Amino acid sequence: LSHVMATTFFRSIFRVLPLLLLLSPVNSSSCAMGNRTTQIREKYENILSHDIDELVNMSAEYRDRCCKNKKHENSKVFFCNDTQEIESLQSMACNMLRFFHKQKISKDYRWKAALVSCGTLQVLQCKCERHKKDKVCMQVNTHNKDTEKSEQSKKKCNQEFCELKENISSLRSCWNKFEKIIFR
Amino acid sequence: MSITGTACVHRVVGLCWEELGFFGVECVLFNEEYMTCMWGSRETLTANYSLYYWYENRSPVEECKHYLQDQGVSIGCYFNRSEIIQFQPFRVLINASLGSRTLKILSKPMELQDLVKPEAPVNLTIRNMSSNQLQLTWTSPYPKAQCLEHAVKYKSNKDTNWTHQVKGDIFSLPSVDYEKYYTFYVRSKINSYCGSTQLWSEWSVPVVWGSNSTSKGTAEEQLHWFWIHTVLIPIASCLLLLVLVVLLVRMERVWVILMPRIPNPSKNFDELFITHNGNFQEWAGVPKDVVESFRPNYSENICYVSELPPKDSCEPLWESGNHPPSVMPGAPAAPREHSPYKNSYVGV
Repeated sequence: LSHVMATTFFRSIFRVLPLLLLLSPVNSSSCAMGNRTTQIREKYENILSHDIDELVNMSAEYRDRCCKNKKHENSKVFFCNDTQEIESLQSMACNMLRFFHKQKISKDYRWKAALVSCGTLQVLQCKCERHKKDKVCMQVNTHNKDTEKSEQSKKKCNQEFCELKENISSLRSCWNKFEKIIFR
Repeated sequence: MSITGTACVHRVVGLCWEELGFFGVECVLFNEEYMTCMWGSRETLTANYSLYYWYENRSPVEECKHYLQDQGVSIGCYFNRSEIIQFQPFRVLINASLGSRTLKILSKPMELQDLVKPEAPVNLTIRNMSSNQLQLTWTSPYPKAQCLEHAVKYKSNKDTNWTHQVKGDIFSLPSVDYEKYYTFYVRSKINSYCGSTQLWSEWSVPVVWGSNSTSKGTAEEQLHWFWIHTVLIPIASCLLLLVLVVLLVRMERVWVILMPRIPNPSKNFDELFITHNGNFQEWAGVPKDVVESFRPNYSENICYVSELPPKDSCEPLWESGNHPPSVMPGAPAAPREHSPYKNSYVGV
């Protein structure tokens, strides 16, 4: 009887363990722990904020008439949640990386957006859940992009561009919030 | 075209925004203490307005609790600090009622952190540093100093244009002229680290430095200069002028040089008027017969002239009053060798 009870006990444990693994939060933070607010602030103010400003200025150069009054998928990634600014920034940066291969968007614009995304992840010392996106950062940081001759066709307004533009605006706004609230 | 003559750009349900005097909503956060959303003025608005607001995906729709009014017309809405949430898309809905018709105007989503207007800096202080350098510092009523950028404008009393510079928290003027005096102003704006706004604060109260005022700028010194310029110098000038006038009056030699006497020739004519009773001819010594000859009724006696006999017959010449020998008319008189007043005796 004791043998049966032990076997039953261990089998129940083994059923629960996979269940526990399955139910564990997928969104657990993959950012480095520790109080690094001073370092984050220095890198944001001295380097990253200028790249963000340039990216926002690039956004204004493209036609966006097709973007008005549109709601996009994955709109939840555009919120900068209170007390979860780092996680929100990580989510926005990782989401922006998926636009890197969208051919309908101007290559200059895609590269700059990827640069800002990778810079955000580097400053916060975060990683994306899907490791494919980390490869994008390796490519952006090591490669010089090839300039294409004809960029005019890429500047037509499309929904992917609209979504990326909104993502950039949310990322900039979330960094503003981080600077204003966290850095005192 | 609307009634007021303004072109109608926005028309909804037969009503024109511009007709109602509505040209959009403008919201400003003043120093993150309160916010106002204004949509017009008493002169332009022609309908009844009400405002509703909400934060997207966060709060229910609420009506404005404190309307700003101008002569009974709602022109804006006041929000206190508890009603303001930054970094959340903020939207307003304006209801414009004109008669039985109502116009609803929905604003674009606004980010309130991009609408902050900080208060002007205060406590501007100037310090003298080494080697003719000035350092200007100030404090800001805005609570988050790391979110501010500042602009300084200054000029000296010799300059005509202002010099503008955007600076951090301290402004340094590397070389100053001690003969001039400088005026400084400072204003602030939310920097790009914390928002995206173009709203500068008002210019601060100025601070001056230089030779016309000390670094302390006391009122006593200014009063001292006032008495010197407006009282002492005019009185001294008047006294000096008075002394010069007195000297001029008393020192006749100087007076005569400055104001020479006009010559008076009347003394030279005392003999004419006193001795000769104004008889100019007598005073001048003009002969009587010449005087007589200028009279209008002058008639001259004929003077007979005869030739003297030769020497062997010595006869007395005629005297005055005797009948003179006749003179042929038209014949010129012989030239006289002696004065008519003298008797013509030819001695033998």
